[in-house]
Amino acid sequence: MATSRIRFAHPSEEDLAKLLDFYRIGWEYEPRCFPITWGAHGDPVEFFTPDFYLPEYDLYIEVTVVKPKLQTRKNRKVRLLQQSHPGVRIKLLKRHDVERLCERLAVA
Amino acid sequence: MTATRRLLFEQDAIAARVAELGAEIARDYAGKTPMLLGVLNAAAVFLADLTRAIPIPAEFDLIAVTKYNDREGIRFEKDTTHSIEGRHIVIVEDTIDTGMTLQYIVKTLKARNPASLAVCTLLDRPGSRIADIDIAYRGFEIPDVYVVGYGLDYQGRFRELPALYAHGDWPAK
Repeated sequence: MATSRIRFAHPSEEDLAKLLDFYRIGWEYEPRCFPITWGAHGDPVEFFTPDFYLPEYDLYIEVTVVKPKLQTRKNRKVRLLQQSHPGVRIKLLKRHDVERLCERLAVA
Repeated sequence: MTATRRLLFEQDAIAARVAELGAEIARDYAGKTPMLLGVLNAAAVFLADLTRAIPIPAEFDLIAVTKYNDREGIRFEKDTTHSIEGRHIVIVEDTIDTGMTLQYIVKTLKARNPASLAVCTLLDRPGSRIADIDIAYRGFEIPDVYVVGYGLDYQGRFRELPALYAHGDWPAK
């Protein structure tokens, strides 16, 4: 996917997209929205959209924030996703992990 | 400013683990002549020691891939000298973290029809993994630290150190 055509929510997501491009790993940005909680009548009331999907690895990637409160909220969504969609593989990457990864590759 | 270094694995510990890996590879490839394919530059020291720790006939060759800042994306900067078709290949890496470099190497080499393809790494940093890769031979598992010594560098330095060290105050932020 062309990184320049995507409007990323955060620069670290763009960094990850550039990394994936460099390594020739195909990716999609926010391609699917998963219902994760349902109301009394069975209607979905809460959704979760992981940041990336890597078709080759059948893997979703969510780039998380560092703030503990927001991270707790994100962890809860990931847990609910795994409970409601057990076949879905997802990996959490902290924004700082992405930045450090780019830095490590740049100096190696 | 002088960067700090913290010892991770002493020279003796590395030698002992390399000897174990050599014995494992010799057992698995008995009756065959594996080709060890070292990924330059950081795996060179490990490859040299590992080759001598394998008590069966083995050959080695070297490859290199472009660095992350190359605009064209990853590709082989130095390819194998000999054909790998029909050969039993063991890719020898210094470190596997995201697995993204290795997935490219594996994909590229598999297309050349080797008889078999296995991966041997001195260091494994599984916490950073993105691309799943089967690792047949693993030296040491490490946390999220920047490692130098025994062939691994920081901006070209420290490759000559005989042991493995965590470099600087990584992760510092």
